[in-house]
Formats: sequence, C-alpha cells, structure tokens
Amino acid sequence: MFTQQLINGLALGAVYALIALGYTMVYGILQLINFAHGEVYMLGAYLGIIVLGVLTYWGLTAYSLVLSLLVTVIVSMAFCAAYGAVIERVAYRPLRNAATLTPLISAVGMSIVLQNFVMLAQGKEYKNMPPKLPTEGFNLLGANVSPVQIFILTASILMMVALQLFVAKTRLGKAMRATSQDRVMAGLVGININQVISTTFMIGSSLAAVAGVMVTLYYGVVHFSMGYSAGLKAFTAAVLGGIGSIPGAMLGGFMLGLIENFGASYLSSAYKDAFAFLVLIITLILRPSGLFGQKAMDKV
Amino acid sequence: MNKILSTVVLMALVVVGCVRQDESVIRIGAAGPMTGDQSKMGIDLRNGVELAVSEWNEKGGVLGKKIQLVPGDDQADPKQAVSIANKFINQKVAAVVGHWNSNCSINASTYYHTANIVAISPASTNPRLTQQGYKTIFRVCGTDDQQGGVAAEFVLKTLKPKRLAIVHDNTTYGKGLADFFKQVIENKVQVVYYDGIQTKDPDYKAVLTLIKEKKPDVYFFGGVYPEAGRLVRQAKEVGMAIPMVTGDGVYDPTFISIAGNAAEGTYVTFGKDPSGLPTSKAFNEKYTAKFGAPGPYSVYAYDAANIILTAMQKTGTTEGTAVAAYITKNSFPGAFGDISFDKNGDVTKAPYVVWKVTDGKFVEMK
Repeated sequence: MFTQQLINGLALGAVYALIALGYTMVYGILQLINFAHGEVYMLGAYLGIIVLGVLTYWGLTAYSLVLSLLVTVIVSMAFCAAYGAVIERVAYRPLRNAATLTPLISAVGMSIVLQNFVMLAQGKEYKNMPPKLPTEGFNLLGANVSPVQIFILTASILMMVALQLFVAKTRLGKAMRATSQDRVMAGLVGININQVISTTFMIGSSLAAVAGVMVTLYYGVVHFSMGYSAGLKAFTAAVLGGIGSIPGAMLGGFMLGLIENFGASYLSSAYKDAFAFLVLIITLILRPSGLFGQKAMDKV
Repeated sequence: MNKILSTVVLMALVVVGCVRQDESVIRIGAAGPMTGDQSKMGIDLRNGVELAVSEWNEKGGVLGKKIQLVPGDDQADPKQAVSIANKFINQKVAAVVGHWNSNCSINASTYYHTANIVAISPASTNPRLTQQGYKTIFRVCGTDDQQGGVAAEFVLKTLKPKRLAIVHDNTTYGKGLADFFKQVIENKVQVVYYDGIQTKDPDYKAVLTLIKEKKPDVYFFGGVYPEAGRLVRQAKEVGMAIPMVTGDGVYDPTFISIAGNAAEGTYVTFGKDPSGLPTSKAFNEKYTAKFGAPGPYSVYAYDAANIILTAMQKTGTTEGTAVAAYITKNSFPGAFGDISFDKNGDVTKAPYVVWKVTDGKFVEMK
C-alpha cells in the first residue's frame, strides 16, 4: 500500500506543483498573489473536457489517443495563456503603481468574475467525461500505476524542466529574473517590463492549463467551483516551498500531495487538509520564508 | 461635503428599504443551497414551493392576501443558514420551507423557534432537528434512524457481507446516517473501516486505497451526491469492485452523471417513487410543464408549502403557534398519500425503500 499511496501522492502533488508555479512566478515578479490563478486552472479543466469531447466526436481519440491528448493540452494552454494575459492587462496593469493591497482585491474580484462567467456559460452542473485512458497500468512493487498517472508525472516533469531551462537559458528568462530582482532598474536598462510581465502570466496560466487537463483526465469531473480549493492548496504549496522560488513551488507541490495522501491513509482521511496546513505552519515557524525562500516575507 | 451627501443618501435608502415592507402579502420563505455544488437541490426545493404558491395565488391567495415567495440561498453552509434565517425574520416571513441540509436546518431552527415561525424541512433527515422541543419545526421526510435501519437490514439480508467499511462526509447528515447504520449493524458484521472524508475534495484515492487494503465486501457512505459520485468513480479506478450502499442524499441523477458507469450497482435508500401514484399525478404534470422534470425533493417541498398554506387558511392566522398546533393535530393530502405528524414534528409514516442504479437509472427494488 505504501508504494500505491506514494504514486497517488506524487500524481496529486504534480498537479499542485504546476498550479503553484503560476503563483510563485507572478509573486516573484510583481509581489502579487494572483488569486484568479485557481480559476485559470478551472478554465483549463473545462477546456480539457470540451476539446477532448470535440476530438472524440471527430474520431481523433479513436485514431490516436496520444495525438489527441497532445492537441488538447496545446489548445488548452493557448486559451489559458490568452486568459492569463488578459487578466493581467485588465485587472492588474492599471493598478501596478497602486497600494499593495489594491491589486489583491482586484485579484479576488477577477476570481469571482471568472467563476460566475463559467457558471453562466457552462452551467451549474458537474460536467463529466467517461475515462479515456484504461485504469489498469503496470505493476510497480505491488502498486498499480495507471496510464493517467504516468501521463501526469511525465508531462509535469517535462513542463518543469522546460520552465527551468527557459528561465535559466533564454533572453526572456534572463529578463524575467532581472525584473523580479528590481523592476525599475530592469526597465532602466531597456527591458520591456510589460512584455515580461505578460509573458510571466501567460507561462503561469499555460502551466495551470496543463494541470487542468490532467485533472480532467484523472478525475473525469469538472465544476465551476473547483478552482477555489485547488488554488488554495497550490498557494499553500508555493508558500511551503518559499513563494517566489520556482524549485520551491515544485518541491512544495509534491510535498503537499504526499503529505495529504499519507496523512489521509495512515492517520485519518477526515483531516486531510489539516495535515497539509499543519506542515505549512511548522515549516513557516522553522523557516519563515519557506523551504527555498530567499528573504523574509513582509508583504502579505 | 461628499461624505455628508452620501451619508444622507444612504440613510434615505435605509428608510425607503424599511417602508418598502409590504403588509398586503404573506411571505413564504424557501431555503436551501441554490448556489454551490449542491445548488440543484435548493433550486428543486424552491421550484416545488413556487408551484404551490402560484396555485394558491390563482385561487386567490390565503387569508385574502397574495402569497409571495422569498428564496433564501444558504449555500449548504450552516453559518449562512443562520443569516438566511435572520433575513427571513427581518422580512417578516410568515413560514419557511427548508432547509435542505440537516446542519443548516438544525442551526436555523433555533431562530425560527424564537421568532415563532413555522418551518417545515422537506429533506433534513437528521433526527436531532425535531428533538429540540421546538413546536414550530416539522419535516415531511423520514429520519436517519429509520433510514439507517432500512439500509442495515437490506445489507444484512440481501448483500450478506462478512466485512464492511463505513465512510461519511463529516456533516451532521452524513455522519449521523453512517452512525445509525453502524449502530444497527456493528454487532452482526465486522466493520473493518470507519472514518470521515472531506467534502469538496476532488481526490479520494488515498482513502479508497486504504479501504481496498482492508478487503470489505460492501461499503456504506453517509453523505451527498457530489462526494458519492467521485467516490464510486475513483473506487472503480483503484480497482475496488464492491457495491456502495448509501442514503437519500445521493438520490439524484447528478450522482449518475458524475460517476458515469461506475454508479452501476449502487444501492440507495430513499422514499417510494411518487411518479406512479395517483396522488402525485397532478403535481408531476404541472411541475414538468413549468420547470421540467421534478427533482427528488421537489414534491416534498411542494407538500410542505401546501401544508403550511392549508393550515394558515384553516386557522385564519399566520401566527406560528396556532399554525403549528393545527399542523400537529390534522392530516394533509400529499403526494405519497395522507401526511400526519407526531408530537415531535416528524411524519408518522416514512417508508424507505432501497433503489439500485441499473442502466444509468435509479430502479426501485421489489
């Protein structure tokens, strides 16, 4: 059972980690907690179920499942990236020089707007999808690793490696790092701040879209309210890892997934959330800036 | 200056708001979760009340006044239920149909009792609701001790498991039902697992993997359809091939639409099917014409509203104690036949039967 719970926990953690990256990147650059990020993940999940539905109708899933998953992920990423850019442009850019709490309120408002938009456009009911991938996978030390779990783990690790390379090696990645260190100074040396910030939102949102598609495949059910709790968990993961730190968000996400799964199975499933937050509190007492945090947090 | 002006405007609005309380209508509250993931239940409930209210209004209202429906969305949250109760009291609502969730009903009932307002819940099955000694609180559904007993008897006689797991959602309703079920069954079958899960959690794989490890033959779930749907779906994915037995909170087509094929073979305790009964024929036709197919609790809400309005008409008052006394003493025609209440406010007969999900539908077991 230990191995099975380990795999369940890693799969759940991968989802948290991908969402947490969006929180942490935006925080790193703007010192803003983008509370609308959980809703972008929810949009990604809806797009996943819609695109997969359309592809099934066209017969592509029957022809090649891998290809249709790839198409779904790309379409969902593109849409969510656009949402991310628009959210930044509409809700945060006009408030960039306002007091710290103002964009935060705007973020909460954006989250409510997006939730209600999806509720009106897609309905209050749950949308569900029959399982596209077989539930039986291969056996690893007595645990069943399902194809969805393999997809989640490989896709998320690929995404994370790509993100690390992007931030470390490319010009835009360098510009992002510069902007996160000192926004004004970066502007003075000729970096297009608006473009960098837009890109950050787009990347964060497309990672959330991947997480959304994964969850659609994993649980098969989407609902307009699903972004709230997932966003809260991912935010916890980002804080656990040290908000603003990219490796921290990844580690925080996986840790959170594992803690929840082991807590639920070895202690009590009724207090699943409590374990996650307990570990968060202990970590923050011992290391106030999180596991990988650079400096003490005095903003929010 | 601006500040003074806006204060004046605000005060004027408050005064207008007070004046607007129209005394020429009788207000009936309908409370339940109308947003959030149990929203369908609250809307079904409100529609049931709305149908009854519009029928009475066509006949000229009650006590010579028109009836106005006041919806209250408690979001399935007991804290919100209290603020809805206060809102109803401030708006001088004469009686309430609601709430849907047991914890909401129990929390709000204290306020209705203090304000002397009759409240009939169409769906809250936790026994505690009517055991508080509040004379104006009623329900038209059964109770969880009756329901848990029926479920336990069914499990013992028909499924005959050797090992049993029990899961609940930690709410007043879910845990209450699971506990009544457990009380009846625990000396007869080995209970290998008993614990709660969190509502609104998308992932139950951890707990299901654990349950699978304990090798039960059947598992019982006390809770509501969104969680039940995810549980059976994920149970299938972790390779658990045992049936779920659960209660009336799961009886809704949404359960099947969430769970898909995995819902097949789930057993649910619920009231008898009213659609075939002659007493509910008129209700079914009118409701379907107005709102589409009735939800599982629409008819209970409709009956509850009719009982309240009949009692007001007969007693000639909307005063809580008098209306409540009339309701306790008399019997009322309902969709399932005549409804009468015992001294606590529970219905005297609440026949639970077992339903099985077969080919994507709930089918009553004979």
